[in-house]
Amino acid sequence: MSLDYGALLFDPVYAEIGVPATLTATGGADVAITVIDDTRPKPLPAGSAEVRGMGPGAFARVPELTSNGITRDGYMDAALAFNGRTWIVRSYELLGSPAGEDMGEVRFLLKEAAPP
Amino acid sequence: MKDVREDILARLVAVAGTVPNIRTVLRNHTDVIDEQMPAALVLDGDEDVVAGNDGSRPSGRPLLANMTPEIQIVEQSDAIGSDLTTFRRELMKRVLSDATLNGLTGSNGSISYAGCETSFGWQQKQYGRLQLRFTFKYPLQPNDL
Repeated sequence: MSLDYGALLFDPVYAEIGVPATLTATGGADVAITVIDDTRPKPLPAGSAEVRGMGPGAFARVPELTSNGITRDGYMDAALAFNGRTWIVRSYELLGSPAGEDMGEVRFLLKEAAPP
Repeated sequence: MKDVREDILARLVAVAGTVPNIRTVLRNHTDVIDEQMPAALVLDGDEDVVAGNDGSRPSGRPLLANMTPEIQIVEQSDAIGSDLTTFRRELMKRVLSDATLNGLTGSNGSISYAGCETSFGWQQKQYGRLQLRFTFKYPLQPNDL
């Protein structure tokens, strides 16, 4: 019997700690999705010193993106708004799942959006 | 009392503060937050004796020392490459031509640019670090300390 990891694993987690987000691919329409805020502290070395900053990121479910017409080639440079801030997807990593990467999560690596 | 090493390091902090658009200059701070960038970090550097340390002359004899402080420029920017290039140029010009620093190194000493290194990463914007290396050759007079 195959397990539906989306229903059993990802959906309950996103229902609890996910936040509403709007993803806008380049040239595309706004799409409402749910993401998990993965903004985290990010120290970087500066010789024998260290610069502490913040690395914005967010998890999303690939099936939710796909069902909204957002395919992988639309990830890069998409605008992602959540928790009161708007970011730009500068890169991403597919996290996969036992049912394959298309049924798993993607972690968006974000950067500050240019001022309007 | 005269401590040329300390005088050079203190002056280096002042000179770094004259570089346009540098927001923060810190000496020996090893923990910087992104709101302080662009920042110049002056870290007291290593030192070697390069002349006068031979023979059996008095222990307080004058020496020539090479000091290599570490100067880090750290910045987050959408144009990190050209920004670091500008900081490098402006800091180098100021250090090499500064009358006070040249006076401290004296007629037997010198200030020389010894190179730089860079590294990059991401925070909210692209992060870049530029380490400039200068060698200050200066007269160390133990009896004056």
